[in-house]
Amino acid sequence: MPNRFLAQVGQTALVLFFVSVASFVFLKLAPGDPVSLMLGSDYNKDSYDRLFTELGLDRPWMVQYTTWLGNFVTGDWGRSFVSNEDIFRLAVMQALPVTLCLAAYAMVLALLVGIPAGVLSALKRDTWMDLCATGVAVFGNAFPSFYLGIVLIWVFGVGLGWFPTLGFVAPWEDPLEGLWYLTLPAITLAAWYIGLIARVTRASLLDVLGHSYILAARARGEGATRVVWVHAMRNVLMPLTTTLGLQLGGMLRGAVMTEVVFALPGLGMMITAATLNREYTVVQAGVMLSGLLFVLVNLMVDQLYTWLDPRLRRLA
Amino acid sequence: MDHPAVAEEDVPLLSLQAFSLARGKVDVLDNVAFELGRGQTIGLIGESGAGKSTIALAIIGLLRPPEVALRGSIRFDGVELTGLAEAQYRQLRGNRIGLVFQDATAALNPCFTVGAQLAEPLSRHLGLRGNERRQRSIELLESVGIGEAALRLDAFPHELSGGMQQRVMIAMALACDPQLLIADEPTSALDVTIQAQIMELILERVRARSASAIFVLHDLALAAQVCDRVVVLYAGQVVEVAPAGELFAAPRHPYTRALRACSIELGQEQVLAPIPGSVPGLEDLPAGCRFAPRCDRASAQCAQTPPLVSDGIRSVACWHA
Repeated sequence: MPNRFLAQVGQTALVLFFVSVASFVFLKLAPGDPVSLMLGSDYNKDSYDRLFTELGLDRPWMVQYTTWLGNFVTGDWGRSFVSNEDIFRLAVMQALPVTLCLAAYAMVLALLVGIPAGVLSALKRDTWMDLCATGVAVFGNAFPSFYLGIVLIWVFGVGLGWFPTLGFVAPWEDPLEGLWYLTLPAITLAAWYIGLIARVTRASLLDVLGHSYILAARARGEGATRVVWVHAMRNVLMPLTTTLGLQLGGMLRGAVMTEVVFALPGLGMMITAATLNREYTVVQAGVMLSGLLFVLVNLMVDQLYTWLDPRLRRLA
Repeated sequence: MDHPAVAEEDVPLLSLQAFSLARGKVDVLDNVAFELGRGQTIGLIGESGAGKSTIALAIIGLLRPPEVALRGSIRFDGVELTGLAEAQYRQLRGNRIGLVFQDATAALNPCFTVGAQLAEPLSRHLGLRGNERRQRSIELLESVGIGEAALRLDAFPHELSGGMQQRVMIAMALACDPQLLIADEPTSALDVTIQAQIMELILERVRARSASAIFVLHDLALAAQVCDRVVVLYAGQVVEVAPAGELFAAPRHPYTRALRACSIELGQEQVLAPIPGSVPGLEDLPAGCRFAPRCDRASAQCAQTPPLVSDGIRSVACWHA
């Protein structure tokens, strides 16, 4: 177990290294010149050269990379060219919590809706209830999330006026108000996952219910409800975790889209705005942070999976 | 559930009468009838698809309408089971009727410890909790020959060997001292070296509790050794019922005779005679005697279904017996 864990941490570090190199190199290769961007339209050769040296752009790439990585690790992420704000504050203190809240809320929603829907359609297989639940699942998977977001704003925000259409209130300052503001974005982001979870739950549960340990539990006098929700679902959790683990990275991608549609000041919004402004230091920070998040989530899922499956837990 | 006080000794523990089971349009069991006395063991014998396991599942109530259609009667300790409400049936399962599965590896939930699964019938039927329940679990594991029982309780099924898993399965089926133990090919999935041990263990536990047992087996020689009576099934019908020794020594039904001829005995000069043909599909059964197409004694009369005729001790369903 410790060996397995260490190996995973090693892999994680390796992945992070490649993410850092890639995010550094891609931005170097991207068109546009940060110096001329910072100086504005009229500048002379002298001030250009001075800033070029000041930013360390005259030094070899290797040196630039290690300096940048060193600064990154120590939390010195530089300042935004545009607003002159500290990028670490901007990304980690301001944008990241918004994205995390959105993703967590969406995941809770997806599990709360997706699992019961999947169980229902497995137990009522080939009835109209199964058909409805499967239909909703396919719809959630097929409907583009940015469009779903706009439809939700239009119906529940503008039409019915139940939810605010735009903006953000920090849930850690005002939990109720915060959740209220995040509900439509969370539904938008959750829709795809509801479909995924419902379909995986249905298929896995049908498979598990065919096993003889289910029959054996009933032969001991266990009731149908307990057999499904305890004996069977405990086994469904493993394939469900595997599938979700593979797809969790996509949640970051989905969050970018959702944040833009709902104007949420999250990581996705930050990266989008910075890309349009060619603020390459902010984009770099955003990419590194997303990479870090992605890799950490996968590490957690791996640990969760090991913990869920006793056959893996006691190996080592 | 109340035990009927009157004439308990006279009523057989279990009796099936004209019991038929249909899955959709297919008759899986047709007119099955046999009785099992208190403290007796009975063997259900036949090839795959004869309906042995179906009978086992039907008795413990895991094959019930609307999944299948039932006709006829199953009486257990004076109570009719076919129409019993699910809630009442649950009081019987694992409590007064125990079931040992063929493949313990598959019948144990991989995600729960041995102790957690063994505890279920103890809490559900006996209301045991906490330390008392743990104590009883340890005793049960010890009674089926599992050493270091306290440690094994916290083990997951995959940490035990196949034989160990089957012992756990047996402990589970016996947890509430059932009056009837059903063992569905309890040794088929095990190594030959362990088979005899496990069979011996089940018999010993059943006798110690003066319980009754049904063994689903496909080996006639083994059935003759461990059972008081043997019921031979063919394509969902009972073809012969007899005391085990007599059946093995002098089978009357041509099918039983054929089974006898295929069973291997060590140290005896014999010619193995495989049965020609194969068991007919249940969708496509011959009219009259279902064994007739494979029978060397078949005649025109066999186009009529032969009745199960009893002489008081044995019964056989064959025009030529």
